[in-house]
Amino acid sequence: MELYSPEGLRIDGRRWNEIRNFECRINTHPNSSDGSSYIEQGNTKVICVVQGPMEPALRSQANSNEATLEVNLSVANFSTTERKKRSKSEKRMVQLKTTLERTFQQSVMCNLYPRTLIRIDLHVLSQDGGMLAACTNAMTLALIDAGVSMYDYVAAMTAGLHDQTPLLDMNGLEENDMSTLTIGVIGKSEKLSLLMLEDKIPLDRLESVLAIAIAGSHKIRDLMDSEVRRHGNIRSSKLAS
Amino acid sequence: MTSVNTSLLQKSDGSAELLLGSTKVIASVTGPIEPKARQELPNQASLEILIRPAVGLATTREKLLEDKLRSLLQSIIVRFKYPRQLIQVVVQFLISDSKRTETDLVDYTSNDLNAAINCCYYALIDAGIALKASFVSLSIAVKNGNLTVNPTVYELAQSDSHHVICFNIEKGKANKILLLESQGDIKEDELFAMISKAVEEAEKVHHEQQRKFVKEKVENDYVWKQ
Amino acid sequence: MSRNTEISTNERTYFIEALKCGLRLDSRRFDEIREPQISLSKTEFGYVELDWGLTKLAVRVSAQIGKPYEDRPFEGLFQINCEISSMAWAHFDNSKNSNEEILIARIIEKAIRRSNSLDLEALCIIAGEKVWNITVDLNFLNFDGNFVDVGCFGAMLALHHFKKPDISIVNGGEDIIVHDIDERQPVPLSILHVPICLTYSFYNPGNKESNLKGEDDDEIYLLDANLIEEQVREGSIVVTLNKNRELIQLSKNGGIPISANVLLDLSFKSMKIVDELTELIKKVISKHEKERYEELNLKMLEVGADR
Repeated sequence: MELYSPEGLRIDGRRWNEIRNFECRINTHPNSSDGSSYIEQGNTKVICVVQGPMEPALRSQANSNEATLEVNLSVANFSTTERKKRSKSEKRMVQLKTTLERTFQQSVMCNLYPRTLIRIDLHVLSQDGGMLAACTNAMTLALIDAGVSMYDYVAAMTAGLHDQTPLLDMNGLEENDMSTLTIGVIGKSEKLSLLMLEDKIPLDRLESVLAIAIAGSHKIRDLMDSEVRRHGNIRSSKLAS
Repeated sequence: MTSVNTSLLQKSDGSAELLLGSTKVIASVTGPIEPKARQELPNQASLEILIRPAVGLATTREKLLEDKLRSLLQSIIVRFKYPRQLIQVVVQFLISDSKRTETDLVDYTSNDLNAAINCCYYALIDAGIALKASFVSLSIAVKNGNLTVNPTVYELAQSDSHHVICFNIEKGKANKILLLESQGDIKEDELFAMISKAVEEAEKVHHEQQRKFVKEKVENDYVWKQ
Repeated sequence: MSRNTEISTNERTYFIEALKCGLRLDSRRFDEIREPQISLSKTEFGYVELDWGLTKLAVRVSAQIGKPYEDRPFEGLFQINCEISSMAWAHFDNSKNSNEEILIARIIEKAIRRSNSLDLEALCIIAGEKVWNITVDLNFLNFDGNFVDVGCFGAMLALHHFKKPDISIVNGGEDIIVHDIDERQPVPLSILHVPICLTYSFYNPGNKESNLKGEDDDEIYLLDANLIEEQVREGSIVVTLNKNRELIQLSKNGGIPISANVLLDLSFKSMKIVDELTELIKKVISKHEKERYEELNLKMLEVGADR
């Protein structure tokens, strides 16, 4: 299997700096939630549903200074070709969940909603690489839909390294064979709110991988922004008529 | 052969490290602290006891040791002095010789239990928890009527019976048995002979080690008074 | 006494003001680690006690013979146990694992196990039948910040110190004999590289919004935070490197964002400390080996003299 051909084509026919098809929808579950979104990043598909800010069920979740974020991450058994039962208490899941909670605790203006709980349910329907990135993007959109104040978009993207060449937006096959960096960028800045690298890359290559990942995140931010604007325009036209 | 170090953990109220034969154990005591709602007892202190093995994660073996230690400490700590409070005791084995080789199937826990009890005494004193009396524990192996105090794991394996015995010590005299764990065959007269020998030994340990330790500790703690 | 010892507002303000003046409360430089105090056991292979400032750790490596996974018949088993008890700090709960603990365990595991720092194929005895099962137990005794760096360093040190008993295969590969340590010299593990974790904590003395949007870059970065520094910090990042200039792990689990330039800068700066710590492991282990051999020789001479 050739992950990157000498002609510069990847296994799914992309060039090194191309992202996969990115589809996003906002306000997909208007009746059952305060905010919702659906994201497709290639074949990775995630639904996100937000409830809140609301009164916390447990007293321990009430913080008198800021809102508490609770993320529930569930990965469907049918999300990979191998049907596997996945437990929520698996260490990897707990880590991803904690990472998402802590990332958004900073990007959401939590100090505006003291003593409340914001519950975010993420459902991964299909996995093909970049699950953490897709979850982050879905969360950003759903929180925007819920009208929760945020400082800026958090847009996430993966990038990997094949030999010397950095590759943008890894799919599942590439992710299994190469080291993958996931980053979350705040708006159009170069500030990283989320970072996760699990396999080896040479230190001297970090800069190039980081650079295309940031560029990719900015692109994702623009795509999400246009979806938010599209939805906003539909709403305002309904209000006007 | 026995060496004790105390107050070596800054985040606990009391701690002790005990080297007894080839067993090394460290115990920490934190308390009295605020308990969780389900631990709280209305008129006395609750105890949370945790034993962690030298190798691997805690199993039923550690739960059993915890239970034995709890029954002992419950009767010796002045619990009514700390109502609605919690005393946490954590015992961590660092080096344990409960097995002759790593693949040995027989597990002799008596040296572990003995070291844990003695280590808890120093840690509780270090934490300033009120005790009704001092206590000394001994591990004893009996073979052909001969006694070995603090036996090695090989001596345990070859003995006819082995025992962990813990005495309540008041006014320098061992007056009550707090715990007696016996394994193997032993005749009644041998048992009584073992106990009376153990009384002597326990009083010796109390006078030579525990009293000296408490005296030094009080001197050091009140050094500012002079 | 309550378990949650949050620090007071005064203490927090004092700490931040000191940082702004370029000072840490224990007078270290911002990029200076605490000096590790190492004691290696002379009698037990793979038992190491490590004092890192007031953070105290006991590591134990042990080996048993087990059966390999069916899909990986040539690879030995390797696991790292990292449970934190209330001995280290009353804040840690004995009955359930907090997210904090899981995060620490995961990061250490990724740094060492996932990066293949231990040569698993060298642990194979009979393919598909018998392999060595290596277990590292990290026992945290006292908590004064930075369990990740200390745990990773301690585990690597203990793996270097550990020796497994020698074995020979008899009956044409059907049975094995495990030789006692006194009978044959035990063999060390084959370690492919030494990952070193470094945790940076950040503080933002300025305005939160302008910092988030990347309008100003005046965050302060501290290496090897102690407990107070960890309680006050607004974010942290773990960088795992080895001395071959390979980046093994980057892990930033929330907190205030870090700008890409700073990240690169920190990673490059870390190399110096990584080299120092790797060198320290090598030095301590070789010194210990030498002492042990000298002792052994001495004993052999005594036996000879008796005769």
